[in-house]
Amino acid sequence: MNKETNIQQTIDQIIAKKGTAGKSVIPILQAIQSTFNYLPEESLKFVCEKTEITPEQIVGVASFYSQFRMQPVGEHIIKVCVGTACHVKGAGQVYDAFRRHFNLTGHEETDASRRYTIEKVSCLGCCTLAPVVQIDEITYGHVASDKVGNVLADFEKHAGLSGARKGLFRNVDGQEIQGEIRIGLGSCCVASGSEDVKKAVEETIADTGIKISLKNVGCVGMCHQVPLVEIIPHNEKPTLYAKVKPEDIAGIIASHFKPLGTFSMLKNSVYKFFESVQTDTVWDGVKQYSIDAREKQVTDFLDRQVPIATQYRGIINPLDIEEYKAHEGFAALKTCLTELSSEEIIKTIKDSGLRGRGGAGFPTGQKWSLVAGNQSDVKYLIVNGDEGDPGAFMDRMLLESYPYRVIEGAVIAAKAVGATQGFFYIRAEYPLAVKRIRQALVYCREKNYLGENILGSGFSFDLTIYEGAGAFVCGEETAMMQSIEGQRGFPRIRPPFPAASGLWKQPTLINNTETFAQVSYIIREGSGKFAAIGRGTSRGTKVFALAGKVNRGGLIEVPMGITVRQIVEEIGGGVQNGKKFKAVQIGGPSGGCVPAELYDTPIDYESLHEVGAMMGSGGLVVLDETDCMVDIAHFFLSFTQNESCGKCTFCRIGTKRMLDILTKITTGKGTLKDMDELEYLAGWTKKGSLCGLGKSAPNPILSTLKYFREEYIAHINGKCPGGKCQSMIKYQINDLCIGCTKCAQKCPTDAILFKPHEKHEVITDLCIKCDACRQVCPVDAVEIV
Amino acid sequence: MTKLTINNHPIEVQTGTSVWQAAQSAGINIPTMCYLEETEHFTSCMICLVKDAKNGRFFASCSTPVFEGQNVITNDEETIESRKAALELLLSEHVGDCEAPCQLVCPAHMNIPLMNRLIAKGDFAKALEVAKRDIALPSILGRICPAPCEAGCRRKQVDEAVSICLLKRFVGDEDLKSESPYQPPKAELSGKKVAIIGSGPAGLAAAYYLQQKGHQSVIFEKNSKAGGELLHIDQEILPAEIIDQEVTQIVATGVQIRLNETIDDRRFAELQSEFDVILLASGTIPEGSSAFGLKTTKAGISVDKTSYMTSNPKVFAVGNSLRASKLAVRSVGQGKEVATVIDHFFRNSEVTGFPERFNSKFGRLAETEFIQYQKDSEAAPRQQADHSGFSKEAAIREAKRCMHCDCRNPESCVLRELSDRYHAVQKRFQSEERFKVEKFIHREGIVYEPNKCIKCGICIRLTRQHQEEFGFTFIGRGFDVKVGVPFNESIQKGLEKTAKIVAIACPTGALAMFETEEQI
Repeated sequence: MNKETNIQQTIDQIIAKKGTAGKSVIPILQAIQSTFNYLPEESLKFVCEKTEITPEQIVGVASFYSQFRMQPVGEHIIKVCVGTACHVKGAGQVYDAFRRHFNLTGHEETDASRRYTIEKVSCLGCCTLAPVVQIDEITYGHVASDKVGNVLADFEKHAGLSGARKGLFRNVDGQEIQGEIRIGLGSCCVASGSEDVKKAVEETIADTGIKISLKNVGCVGMCHQVPLVEIIPHNEKPTLYAKVKPEDIAGIIASHFKPLGTFSMLKNSVYKFFESVQTDTVWDGVKQYSIDAREKQVTDFLDRQVPIATQYRGIINPLDIEEYKAHEGFAALKTCLTELSSEEIIKTIKDSGLRGRGGAGFPTGQKWSLVAGNQSDVKYLIVNGDEGDPGAFMDRMLLESYPYRVIEGAVIAAKAVGATQGFFYIRAEYPLAVKRIRQALVYCREKNYLGENILGSGFSFDLTIYEGAGAFVCGEETAMMQSIEGQRGFPRIRPPFPAASGLWKQPTLINNTETFAQVSYIIREGSGKFAAIGRGTSRGTKVFALAGKVNRGGLIEVPMGITVRQIVEEIGGGVQNGKKFKAVQIGGPSGGCVPAELYDTPIDYESLHEVGAMMGSGGLVVLDETDCMVDIAHFFLSFTQNESCGKCTFCRIGTKRMLDILTKITTGKGTLKDMDELEYLAGWTKKGSLCGLGKSAPNPILSTLKYFREEYIAHINGKCPGGKCQSMIKYQINDLCIGCTKCAQKCPTDAILFKPHEKHEVITDLCIKCDACRQVCPVDAVEIV
Repeated sequence: MTKLTINNHPIEVQTGTSVWQAAQSAGINIPTMCYLEETEHFTSCMICLVKDAKNGRFFASCSTPVFEGQNVITNDEETIESRKAALELLLSEHVGDCEAPCQLVCPAHMNIPLMNRLIAKGDFAKALEVAKRDIALPSILGRICPAPCEAGCRRKQVDEAVSICLLKRFVGDEDLKSESPYQPPKAELSGKKVAIIGSGPAGLAAAYYLQQKGHQSVIFEKNSKAGGELLHIDQEILPAEIIDQEVTQIVATGVQIRLNETIDDRRFAELQSEFDVILLASGTIPEGSSAFGLKTTKAGISVDKTSYMTSNPKVFAVGNSLRASKLAVRSVGQGKEVATVIDHFFRNSEVTGFPERFNSKFGRLAETEFIQYQKDSEAAPRQQADHSGFSKEAAIREAKRCMHCDCRNPESCVLRELSDRYHAVQKRFQSEERFKVEKFIHREGIVYEPNKCIKCGICIRLTRQHQEEFGFTFIGRGFDVKVGVPFNESIQKGLEKTAKIVAIACPTGALAMFETEEQI
């Protein structure tokens, strides 16, 4: 069989499954790419022959979405996450190190042997493991620029293995990171026998082969409950066990982590950990010792939080529909279908004060009543799960961990507005979320929470999944609808608003994932209870992804009105490594910075807007004194510039020209006039752009100019105060040097002059500023000047 | 019907009308580029932004429907600034020349590529007409001009510059040899009279163009022969009969030349009362001369740089009287320009500078771009000419070497027109890197230059509407998005039925027709 007939047969099969209409183009392209690893041109031509899809459409669409590749790639794809949290922790240097490793030059992305293709990805949503690299489906955390070889060696070792080992988090030494166990070693803890507990932990780890790191921590302040053991599965909320006895340890560990070897004692339930990224199933035998949620003075991480969208976190298995039901699941839906009229549902939502959690904060109830008020036989509903902010992973967590809650909210909304068909629009980079929702939809249909005549109420509604194809702009509702219709994700002018004329010109309700996740609680508990939380016109809770230079990052749900300080200090445990808090970046590329002098700014729509930040979709990245604010502005603008759809002049060219100017400034070539022009362009891009992406793209610039203007001026004067901008810094070895030659061994360009036992020296002309020497130095003798 | 206010004028329009259309119906013009009535609006260029007076927000008027009680501003300072900002952004990535470098370099600003194209087609008469729009003495200058234009010629980067000067001489000579040499259309006399002192290149040129505009021009020449400095040039280079013939052509337009008349201060005063305007083109001002009481500098008469007006508002001065340049082509160019200024003065009673149009420029070609420019030219080497100039064949061959760096839509390009109107500065936001020049030539005489495209998508909508098999599409995303034919098919395949349609609709010169020379 020749190549051509092979392609044709494959395409025929794909078309048979996906349909021949124009709207099928993206699913068809996704199927072609998953078969061939790229989009062979002849396959696209063949699609045009066999379907209604035109060459104009297929080429326009294939070249718009970043997921699609027109060229074959290497066998394995290395994705270096350059999300905000990874960026501030040196992802750029990691990316450069991979390129050096493969001797890639210019625009090359695939190595000579065609085994690896390297690409940047804007956020993998694993911000607490930053910097993160994903090779195929294996994720490596804490990757430093000098660890690239280790990562690849480990990957090569496992590359041939079957799917069973895929999807794991691994440390740079190749070990799977399953988490961390912290044992309090404050004096009270030691006195209470924590040393014995520690020994038990070490033994259990040795016996089971579970890859966890054991960390001793100082006093955590709850001395009346000692000894304390805190279990921190990767990227998850920690669980604190109090009054732990050595004999409890095996059970505690087994309840959180899957053993690598054969660990016969385990119950099936422990596998849930891998099924449920966020759930720590608690082993009954230990439960009695774990600290009750009501007296969690120490679990500061949870203390300030109010779980609504994340209610029953750590308790329910994401896909266990019975467990969801057992925890009040679908109760609200039943009420809505059997007791409440559409008007009553909408009134409840209005009364709750819920506003859209996607960023703009439009009152949800009002949106629903607009859609409800437009008469049409066909109405659509879209769950916006196209979270693309670098440094944000709320939608991912909600879709993965609470699929039924999101579905329940959507069905209630559908009933309220009279929607007949719904879509889950989920970002391409979230395969697990897609998998979970797909499965959850099947179970919901089986139980008649979806489909015809739901629960005998006479109301019919179903949801299907639409996978995004890699375009941040598709989070904008008009662009998203274009995408679902099989077009390039170009936003269009509003009006008409989707509520009047949306998907296929029908009234359409679009809400963010998190918004839907809060609906069932409001219905169940009453609008008053939700409205009682919050501040001003911002009611209820908001989910944030807390990351960056903070001790304890993760997904948090906090009441509106909580201050930035409370989040960082109390929930996040303060800034890492004792560094000074500089600012928190809220709202990602559309948002802005809240500087230290505004540490007590409450988190609500209006207050954030006032200080020049934005709720955005909820990325919250903590920055310390070593971060460069001009670099941060440059980082976000690179992102938006790259994600601009290219439709309107101000965004397409404006973001590019602002980036040009920022690049000039961060490379020491900027002038004061450039700052004026930057401000001018930022102003007009904000005022003149067509959609929210362009209108908000200048925010990171405007906000850093507002609070950190002196840093811009310092750059113009040739100095980067944060020591981040590569062309303005130098590496230098100070007197602390012990002459161990470690740095010289790591240096990829032989830029370190060394004699053993004598102070080494950096040859600046040869130095490529990869930071490897600084990371490897055992005595902090390498400094940036 | 919907009632709204635009620029404080209450108007009433059909509900559903766009703000742009509503303004149009009230006689308020809002510029736009991406909007084409017969296609769906796209909202990309953002030139049509207007302001909502109530909240100060800007929106695209072409695609926003009116609503009751709306209050729109289309012409305040901030709105004007929005257009300038959008234009400057578009210009920052616009890689194209409105006018060719040779034309920009030419002190007389002659439309060289157009002349070349006409010569290449064998239409020498038309070519001469084009040359004479800017150069009143083509045969003379064709012999003596040092040809700065050829220094600007891009062909020089490929091999050797086009022999522009000899081509101009060729069309000039062909004309003089013909039975009835070219005469510009005669305008009705305005009743205004201009006294021109001096019959050198500047005076002759000024008289020629003033006369064409209907203003009786009288040249006062102190010698017994017209020509001024030209008469001192070696006969071998510039034979006297060529001067005679070209002067004859100028006189034939109605210009009067009074020989042997020296103008002294007394006579100057008389001319001031006899004529509406005096133009001084008398060559270098002798040191220590009174210069008729006009303000002078070290170099010569002091004039306003763009209007040539002297310290006396009814006296103008051009040519070597300003400074001894010995560059006849500059004098000829100044003669043309001052004629425009004086004509404008007669019509509007005010003196304004010679209008300088907006010109997009991108500078040198990269070596990799030569091939793109050669697509529109012939590979032949520079033709040699003997002392009698080019033969017809050689002229045609030489003219075909021209790479036509100029834009084919210099008059209809909306980007140029608006950049002119809003005084946009192209360099303001330009970065060091620019897009590479590309040219695609369609057999129906259409050229597509993607680097001039503003991504308005009009051509894409039109090819879709006309159901082209391939048509045009957007390729890529963001700043790097291109408009092109899917699957890298040729422009022929992309535009089977719509080549002319899209070329006409394109708001810039990205898609343009060879056939229609807008400047003829």
